Amino acid sequence: MDVLRFYGDNSREALGLLSQHVVLVLASTLVAVAIGVPLGILLARRPRWRRPVLGFANVCQTIPSLALFGFLIPLPFIGGVGARTAIVALVVYALLPIVRNTYTGIVGVDPAVREAGRGMGMTDRELLVMVELPLAAGVILSGIRVATVIGVGVATIAAAVGAGGLGVYIFRGVAVVNDTLILAGALPAALLALGADGLLGLVERRFVWR
Amino acid sequence: MALAGWTDRRIVGSLLLATLAGGCARSDRIVIGAKNFTESDLLAEIIAQQIERRTSVPVERKLHLGGTFVCHQAITAGQIDGYAEYTGTAFTAVLKQEPGPGADSVRRLVSNEYAGRWQLVWLEPFGFNNTFAITVRQADAERYGLKRISDLAAIAPRWKAGFGYEFLERADGFAGLARVYGLQFSAPPLAMDLGLTYRALADGNVDVIAGNSTDGQIEALRLVVLEDDRHYFPPYEAAPVVRAAALERHPDVRRALSELAGTIDDAEMRRLNARADVRREDIRAIARDWLARNLP
Amino acid sequence: MTAVLEVRRARYALPGRGKGEGGRVLVDDVSFSVRAGETLVLLGRSGSGKTTTLKLINRLLESTNGDILVAGRSTRGMEAHRLRRGIGYVIQDVGLFPHFTVEQNIGLVPRLEGWDAGRIADRARELLSLVGLDPARFAGRRPHELSGGQRQRVGVARALAADPPLLLLDEPFGALDPITRAELQREFRRLEERLGKAMVFVTHDVREGMLLGSRIGLMQDGHVVFLGTPAEFRESSHPECRAFLEAAA
Repeated sequence: MDVLRFYGDNSREALGLLSQHVVLVLASTLVAVAIGVPLGILLARRPRWRRPVLGFANVCQTIPSLALFGFLIPLPFIGGVGARTAIVALVVYALLPIVRNTYTGIVGVDPAVREAGRGMGMTDRELLVMVELPLAAGVILSGIRVATVIGVGVATIAAAVGAGGLGVYIFRGVAVVNDTLILAGALPAALLALGADGLLGLVERRFVWR
Repeated sequence: MALAGWTDRRIVGSLLLATLAGGCARSDRIVIGAKNFTESDLLAEIIAQQIERRTSVPVERKLHLGGTFVCHQAITAGQIDGYAEYTGTAFTAVLKQEPGPGADSVRRLVSNEYAGRWQLVWLEPFGFNNTFAITVRQADAERYGLKRISDLAAIAPRWKAGFGYEFLERADGFAGLARVYGLQFSAPPLAMDLGLTYRALADGNVDVIAGNSTDGQIEALRLVVLEDDRHYFPPYEAAPVVRAAALERHPDVRRALSELAGTIDDAEMRRLNARADVRREDIRAIARDWLARNLP
Repeated sequence: MTAVLEVRRARYALPGRGKGEGGRVLVDDVSFSVRAGETLVLLGRSGSGKTTTLKLINRLLESTNGDILVAGRSTRGMEAHRLRRGIGYVIQDVGLFPHFTVEQNIGLVPRLEGWDAGRIADRARELLSLVGLDPARFAGRRPHELSGGQRQRVGVARALAADPPLLLLDEPFGALDPITRAELQREFRRLEERLGKAMVFVTHDVREGMLLGSRIGLMQDGHVVFLGTPAEFRESSHPECRAFLEAAA
């Protein structure tokens, strides 16, 4: 196949772009988890904030990715051309699944378990760390999985703003109407998404409590 | 729900008629395309409006279609009837020839090949040469004494380059440039949408880009174009390329477009680009204004 | 001997809608005391305020008036979670942590209090035997592997883990089938005699109340309308007592 020969001839470059892509997705997912999980926990504690916060995250999700990149570029600090802007945009896209699933997971903990825990003298923090988070972990991981798969796809667009990654092959291929190039970028991106989905799915299954 | 009713049949009938009419009207109109950058859109608009004001042929525009190869595919497939192409681009990127010959030979060869292979006609050039402009920041040009592309070789190892995707892929693009001038940058060039490269240069994300010599942003952003001292780039004369079939159907189109020959020099094109890119004026207005003043 | 638990004129009203306007009063001017070795059964219909009263004791709900003393100290003064660690709490749905083993569930409060692992394991084994479950077979199991009756036995063991002087039970056998319920009631009776703790036991089942209580506190519309021994309850002419007795007959 042409694509395989292409990889053979350009192995260093291909690996470089692949690792760039992985870094984009990894960095943005980690930041999204760091922001999203605490935010989800907060929403579970203050139900009145749920509608505005989730509503806002929902709106962010609907912004077309290229448009979001375009909006971010002129901003100071987080904008400009390059990977940083891309990571900011990717974080925005990863937030909704993570926040929403964290909220759902925590709120879904059996109320009897919560009552028993409180009744026996657990502080809010002990309850959160020893009971709520472990029980919600499966649902939270499911949200992280969804966010990651979305991230792999959106990260291909990041090449338009100079962030590198597998999208570079896709854009190059589109510019000169070269299917092999397009495939060289699209194929590993698809495999990456499938792989992340499968791997995180396995981890998620370990956290299902009956 | 069977199509038995009288009203249903009328609806289907009208739809069919409309589709056929749409298809038939194809031979009555001319479709002008453009590549995905401002100058190409401007030239397309000028071509389109010139046809409209001198002939009775309706014109449809398909601006900002895509890169060179997208437009080439579109015109050979008959999806557009014409667009503005550059002799050098046709020579090296489409016909895959080695750069070397002078402007006249390039133009002649390109004309013959396009006519012979694809029945496409090259009309007279507009009169300017839009070559790739290897561009750096003015402050850097002064600090390191950069005037020619050869001057880059010394500083390249410490610099970052940024290019659009087409320049990276084309034979007359980055690979050849780096080879001819011995440029070795600290890392592979940053790839991004061509329009963003000026911003990236001005913001300091990259140190050298390949813009267009007639771009309007060069002066506005305090940038300097380096001289192609080893004549790596072929001449890029812009001219309308039109399908022979369309010209045969509408002979007055050829006459109208020949009025455009030699009417725009480098400086004029740069001024027009600046109006669009820097002053953000509407492209249609710019074209209308220019035609009214130069070809009344 | 001071009572382990003293409830003095406790009152609980739901937060009102307007300013200065209280909401519905669920518990009104309730007073009673419980000594070590005593089990006070709070009996009443649904909505009589018995569960609410129970939750006022361990401050899952904060009383709007009155005072509650555990082992002579006002509950208002302590931090809520400190108070609760000294009171055993058993609820109808048990609420075992599904991700903990039986041993880990039982050892929850000891773990929070910083006991070392060996001591916790020993205590868990001791309590499992006490509630009639073979430690060797049950210590490592998870809640979903247990039957309803077994789960509630673990629930009681968990409540006893840190050896609290006071135990609160909210209809603990209500969700079990009649046979298991009878079995657990009988065993619980024996446990009461062995442990000698002060207990408050909420139920709407008068027979259960008569069997397990040293005294019965009958609640109606947020008030305690009868407080006395089961024998006194049977002789009482109060209409609510009669209603319960008739229903049980």
